[in-house]
Amino acid sequence: MEIKKQIQSMIAEAKIYCTQGLLEEAIVYYQNAKNLVEKNEKVKNRETILKTIEDRIISLENEIQKVKDLKESAPVSSEVQDLIKTKFAFSKDENESALEGAIALAKFGQYERALQEFDELLQVDSLRLAAAKNIIRCHIAMSTIEKAVDIYQEWMAGDLFPQDQLYKINIFFKSIIDSKGLDIMLPQVEEPVDFEMNELGESENEDDEFMDISSIGISLDTGSEKKRMIDLDVSFQQGNEINLIISSKNKDLIDNLKVGFRLNDVQFYSPFAIFTGSGIVSAKTQIGFGPKQGDYSLDITVINK
Amino acid sequence: MANINIKKREIECKIVYYGPGRSGKTTNLEYIFKSYKNYVSGEMISIKTEGDRTLFFDFLPIGLGTIKGYDVRVQLYTVPGQVQYTSTRRLVLKEVDGIVFVADSLKVRREKNMQSLKDLQNNLKGYDLSIFKVPLVLQYNKRDLSKQGIPLMHSELMEKELNSQLKVPSFQASAITGQGVGVTLKECLMLTLKSIRKQLKTVK
Ligand SMILES: Nc1nc2c(ncn2[C@@H]2O[C@H](COP(=O)(O)OP(=O)(O)OP(=O)(O)O)[C@@H](O)[C@H]2O)c(=O)[nH]1
Ligand SMILES: [Mg+2]
Repeated sequence: MEIKKQIQSMIAEAKIYCTQGLLEEAIVYYQNAKNLVEKNEKVKNRETILKTIEDRIISLENEIQKVKDLKESAPVSSEVQDLIKTKFAFSKDENESALEGAIALAKFGQYERALQEFDELLQVDSLRLAAAKNIIRCHIAMSTIEKAVDIYQEWMAGDLFPQDQLYKINIFFKSIIDSKGLDIMLPQVEEPVDFEMNELGESENEDDEFMDISSIGISLDTGSEKKRMIDLDVSFQQGNEINLIISSKNKDLIDNLKVGFRLNDVQFYSPFAIFTGSGIVSAKTQIGFGPKQGDYSLDITVINK
Repeated sequence: MANINIKKREIECKIVYYGPGRSGKTTNLEYIFKSYKNYVSGEMISIKTEGDRTLFFDFLPIGLGTIKGYDVRVQLYTVPGQVQYTSTRRLVLKEVDGIVFVADSLKVRREKNMQSLKDLQNNLKGYDLSIFKVPLVLQYNKRDLSKQGIPLMHSELMEKELNSQLKVPSFQASAITGQGVGVTLKECLMLTLKSIRKQLKTVK
């Protein structure tokens, strides 16, 4: 093919990729066209063509960057939040389903709305404890832990929670604070008389069926190095699914933890016990917006506790 | 699993359009919304971000009327195809009954199709579902672009790379013109309802 035709066809192809929103592919074809022009000094209007192509590449690169830089998720209307709340709750039990809906809102990053829902669920006896824990989790995800502390103090002062539940919340919250190494003192709650330790960990527990996990320790076989133990905080938990945030600086770890990867000999730290088990990496997502932008969010399914 | 109300004789099921970013999942739903008004039972809701990319999901409710005595309602969803939204894709897949995998016929998207199919398999596994058992159809989209001189993969190649193990029904389509959109959905619905009927029998 004539050089000129080749260049034209590359540019035409690049343009179509643009209309398809395939910006990276478009850049490749503009780049190819550019290389071809550069190699052939006889091309007419060489400089102008080169300049046009270069401008196009720069503007595409800017567009790609813009997508990457998105600070906030699209503001979601309350109608959409309602949809999430109802469509992502699957339980047949009305209360259980309300809790699931609120957790789904949190999972879609709609923390403010999720908090409203959890607040309402505090009024439901069977959900009170779970709602309280999730309120704390939401504030931690939003990096407003001081608000969680205020709310916790209100709970302490009020009479919404029976003593044994306050005690459980205290332990739950404390374990998060400890695992994050924060310097926050929570008011003490007296251990209720006849309180049974195993109540917290057993699946008959009225709260969620799975033990609360505040952090985990994994040892990675990194090949050259010896095994190395790494502690990671749990930011969210639903049943046997835990979510961790891993800093983008931890490249090694991020590369190692591919979806489907099975972690053996994991130490799970819960407020009352450490247990060893396995986990499977079920999702890995780079966070696109907010204060943790660029970091990775990792879901792990805990097996055989 | 589908919501089956035997007393009220109602079935509600969920079909998810899956596939790599920009393959045309949203376009499929938009065409269905525009062209099958008789079946559409509510507004289409899209949650998108910069450049019209799906951020959470698209949602479109349709009703099929009465089939074998049951009022059948279907909720169509799309997932966000961009690689970084894995956990959202997983959330959207929860309780799925049937899947349309929309593959991009563009040669430059060859690898992306395979990666996305693998991602689907992994995410299904997370719910204890097998990609070999779930009702699934493939759609090879954007066939119209060959007219514009853009290199597409032959459907035989796509069949070989994506479907030689799955062996599920596959369709060529052009979501933008609507060609192939209806048959893809119809086949997926048939498979899905068949599998629900099986579940109904085992319940009894
Ligand atoms: N020519 C042509 N273009 C199509 C076709 N289907 C989709 N497109 C275009 O491809 C681009 C992406 O389509 P979408 O439907 O938004 O793709 P998607 O799969 O929902 O993408 P994500 O939401 O990012 O996962 C849009 O510019 C569409 O117009 C098709 O059949 N033919
Ligand atoms: Mg889309």
